[in-house]
Amino acid sequence: MRRFIVAVVVSACSTAALEAHHAFAAEFDAKQPITLRGTVTRVEWINPHTWIHIDVKNADGTVVEWMIEGGTPNTLLRNGLDRKSLPAGTEIVVDGYRAKSGLNRANGRDIMLADGRKLFLGSSLTGAAGGETPADKKP
Amino acid sequence: MRSAFPCLSRLAIVGVLLSVPSDPAVAQTSSAGKPTKAFVPPKTAWGEPDLQGLYTNKTITPLERPAQFANAAELTDEQIAELEGRAAARSVDNGRNKGTEADVSNAYNEFWWDRGKKVTTKRSSLIVDPPDGRVPALTPDAQRRAAEEYKQPIYRGGGANGRGADWTTDRSLFERCITRGLPGAMSPSAYNNTYRIVQSPGYVAIQIEMLGGTRVIPTTGGAHIGSSLREYMGDSRGRWDGNTLVVETTNFSNRTLYRGSSENMTLIEHFTVVEPNVLDYEFTIVDPTTFVKPWTASIPYLRTTDQLFEYACHEGNYGMEGILQGARAEEAKSAGETKQ
Repeated sequence: MRRFIVAVVVSACSTAALEAHHAFAAEFDAKQPITLRGTVTRVEWINPHTWIHIDVKNADGTVVEWMIEGGTPNTLLRNGLDRKSLPAGTEIVVDGYRAKSGLNRANGRDIMLADGRKLFLGSSLTGAAGGETPADKKP
Repeated sequence: MRSAFPCLSRLAIVGVLLSVPSDPAVAQTSSAGKPTKAFVPPKTAWGEPDLQGLYTNKTITPLERPAQFANAAELTDEQIAELEGRAAARSVDNGRNKGTEADVSNAYNEFWWDRGKKVTTKRSSLIVDPPDGRVPALTPDAQRRAAEEYKQPIYRGGGANGRGADWTTDRSLFERCITRGLPGAMSPSAYNNTYRIVQSPGYVAIQIEMLGGTRVIPTTGGAHIGSSLREYMGDSRGRWDGNTLVVETTNFSNRTLYRGSSENMTLIEHFTVVEPNVLDYEFTIVDPTTFVKPWTASIPYLRTTDQLFEYACHEGNYGMEGILQGARAEEAKSAGETKQ
């Protein structure tokens, strides 16, 4: 059985150049952190980023669909996920930021399974679909 | 006789001064401290140096030397251990600074990224010239152009934040899934850092994972296309210099600017297999209308057993509509506050 462990956050003191494909801060609002508990209805396994659709039940019993932006499929595959990893019906908790547009969209900053296990699998990037480089083999 | 590289011949002296040979001994895979035998790269069946294979250039080594290493071109083993330890800690540290722009910009936990966890050179920066490891200053003209960028009908810079979000053309070409230009497309990013090189007699092709696309470079030189023809990726002409592929690219479009460079940029690239599993990729930017002097970076490309995946970026770029919708919502909110 696969072991889930806590995966992380980026240190502000990183010296690596961070060049993501698009400006997340333009899309999502730092002033609107949001936590959503919902059930996966489908996963759009698409470029440049995946989108996880979840149904969120309100206190009054009504159900609202939310779309959660995730990583790019290439990276997810290299980290051990594929389009079947979050089947419909999976309950997840999303900790992220709401879209500035006010639509029911958020980024999936951290995603947790209903039983408390954090996504995603392991921290080692080797041995999965990501392959190895000589650097990985350095002691 | 007409030179295959008219621009190169004019730049010959500059080129000699700039040429910083890559030292295989500093490559990641060298056994620490032991001098390596002169490596002779393999040849193709038709006798040209064989660069072919799958490579990744992901690295935590920054393009420019950080201030903390201002006086150290080369890192000590302790410093490398510290940097790599910090990168590894990103996978186990849960210390988010919630509710900040920085946290949103990082966007996802480390699982979503693939930017490497190791340095791939002992150098403290990818830039090897100038010796301070920093991009040279912009010329006054380049500073003026940068200040007037907002007047252009299309955003021409490379920054992720563009010049606003009135329409898609205010966003960078990278964000619009079009191109990272050169040498952007050959530089490490937060993910999709895989490259495939294949050769046939007279050609080298480089398939690029991030945003897709393949550069097809003739290795028999030839004159550049006419100066009125301008391309996002420029016009590349290659030739073999010993075991090194030397590529000169000109004819850039004024839409693919790299760090403020102009369409007058001449890009000179050197590809050399320096160890069985390491290709040294070096680029030199010569653009006197933008930088006060030319500059050079050297990026290790490491062979990988990974695959190169398609990145069909236009497939569902909801992020772009999210950015524009976000800007409209902020304007509406701002207008509402003004009325009150």
